[in-house]
Amino acid sequence: MPTALLVTSVVNTIQIGSLYALMALGITLTFSVIRLPNFAHAEYVTVGAFAALIVSLSGEVNPIVIMAAAFVVGALVALVSHLVVFKPLEGRNVSLYTLILSSFAVGLILRYILFMIADSFNLFDTRIRIPLQIIYREGALILTNVFAWVAPTSIALVLLLTLLLNGTPLGREMRALANNISLARVIGIPVERVKNYTWILVGGLAGVAGALWGLQTAVSPLMGWVAILSVFAAAILGGLSSFSGTILGAYVVAFSENTVMLFLNFNFGVDLAYKPAIPFFIIIVVLLIRPQGFTELFNRSRDLQR
Amino acid sequence: MIRKCLLMTLVVMLTVSLGANAAAQDDMETYVLGVVLPFSGNLGTFGQDFARGVELAVSQVNAELEAAGRPIRFEIASADTENTPEGAARALQTVVQTTGAQVSVGPLTTSEVLGAKQFADENGIVIVAPASSGAAGAIPGDNIYRVIYPPDVFASKAYANIALERGHENMVVLHLDDPFGNGMNEGFTANFQAGGGGEVASFAYTPGATELSSEAAAVSAALAGFGDNAGFFCVCFLSGAQAFLQVAQIDPILTSVQWMGNEAMTAAEILADSGHAQTLANADFITVSFSSESTPLTQIFIDDFTAMFDKEPGIFTNYAFDAANIAMLTMLAAGNDGAAVKSMLPFIANHYIGTAVQAFLDENGDQAIASYGLYMVSDDLSAFDEVGAYNGNTDTITYN
Repeated sequence: MPTALLVTSVVNTIQIGSLYALMALGITLTFSVIRLPNFAHAEYVTVGAFAALIVSLSGEVNPIVIMAAAFVVGALVALVSHLVVFKPLEGRNVSLYTLILSSFAVGLILRYILFMIADSFNLFDTRIRIPLQIIYREGALILTNVFAWVAPTSIALVLLLTLLLNGTPLGREMRALANNISLARVIGIPVERVKNYTWILVGGLAGVAGALWGLQTAVSPLMGWVAILSVFAAAILGGLSSFSGTILGAYVVAFSENTVMLFLNFNFGVDLAYKPAIPFFIIIVVLLIRPQGFTELFNRSRDLQR
Repeated sequence: MIRKCLLMTLVVMLTVSLGANAAAQDDMETYVLGVVLPFSGNLGTFGQDFARGVELAVSQVNAELEAAGRPIRFEIASADTENTPEGAARALQTVVQTTGAQVSVGPLTTSEVLGAKQFADENGIVIVAPASSGAAGAIPGDNIYRVIYPPDVFASKAYANIALERGHENMVVLHLDDPFGNGMNEGFTANFQAGGGGEVASFAYTPGATELSSEAAAVSAALAGFGDNAGFFCVCFLSGAQAFLQVAQIDPILTSVQWMGNEAMTAAEILADSGHAQTLANADFITVSFSSESTPLTQIFIDDFTAMFDKEPGIFTNYAFDAANIAMLTMLAAGNDGAAVKSMLPFIANHYIGTAVQAFLDENGDQAIASYGLYMVSDDLSAFDEVGAYNGNTDTITYN
């Protein structure tokens, strides 16, 4: 494998892995605190991307403003979906399967609303108006402004989230919910309020991830859905309860899809069209061999153990 | 007494009048035109615009039928293919079984058309495909008619000729992993090598992929491996083209070779990004696109469409309009019967002049008039200028 190809693939791994991490953390958080494998998460990502696109089309080119808009809209949509669908269903003590199905339904409804918006305002396959610029070039190593936004923003948000969970009262309350929701209720933790904040956080992070994903590619109503399998693979690899494991899982998935795939293509002629099979492969292998994922590799006391 | 008689008379008149109306209604025959297109999925934007093209054609034909006092009206029955072969089969089946439609405009892509083919052939349903061009769809005797867009055997030859004319010794192809992309890749490779070209390295990508950085890295490495005089050929849909351009525009190898690409890369969305437009201009990007020659109907169609939907028609939407007209004219001549429509459609199509070019079908039921334009990015990066033409029937390229 030529050095240039290796370097490019590693840069891609970092960039895409950071985005997967940002998206997968929301899934881990929802699964741990809300106890829902939320498939509508894909659409929160897409909603964020569309919010970013619309703001950028209005003439705004400051990525911070664009990402802030994506956070707000993503958070709002996630909170509304909780209040309108998931909370009433939880109140009726429905099974987990019903909740999973309802998350699919919420995702589908959001997706088709986005299709209607995209059609009405001619937003199909439109790009966020931030031009790509090279900020560093040394041999085969090329870094762009998108990389400079994607990687540090994702890492910073991941660190902030970790700090929030481990160093704030809200974080402690979230962890209490993740450990034992009944006990949390008994000791006076405002469960519904904590859940609301969790949804806001989950939707906001997904929204920012969507904005950054939109910088990487074009915005379309299906973009979140297309990425969600890789994101779930990352979350499952992380054991669905460990932030550190989820982040590591995200980079492993991105590494497999980029560097490993290119290695296999270059050396053994494996078709790149098999790339979408990698997340499936990872999910099946992890579930069969190591269902706990990377959880046990990290300090359990600070994770969202249940 | 008089009042009673008057009342009775009125009742009788009303009854007769209602009866006459009912009889008139009974005489009115409704033909259902299936519209099986991708309303969702990656090509949802095309599908929705194509459906509008069909809607316009149906409204115009119905207005003409009404004006002529003919007791036939067309109705549309739509279903979403979701841009997948299985979805196309399901959608066609739904339309046929719920409405009795015998003719369908669409599906859109070759993979969708091939997905719906078995059901159409087995049930005598005629598919009039407005934009499918993949070589795999060129099958004699089946129920699929690709009446507007010629099959890709011509375009793949044109691209091979251009690559050879440009002096490319080897080529790298990135293509969709579907019947359209695979067919174009195979046709191009065969023609390029038959014309004296060297090696062709092909990379397939999954339809619907939104992120193509690995593919760009692989294409770049292959081009670097070929050294000088290598060229690049991209066969993709709009979303794939955008994803590829986003990463390719900073690649030192990809930005130093000449590019060719299919006409989906000439969509307005591509030039809306100045970086993408500049990349294509620097790469001497050229595309071979089915002739955009205007007919007297072209502007009328654009005006009517804009008036009806308050927006201009999208790229290729006129193909759906033409396909719907051919389908309806055939149904008016043959009746609402799949077998009769299949029998008459080539005759009607061959006597139809549409918004782009006259239809003339070959033995596979595909458009045989292969007249293409060659397009490159204009100097101000705002449009694609026609720089030449390719006549597929004589296999000749001419430049302006």
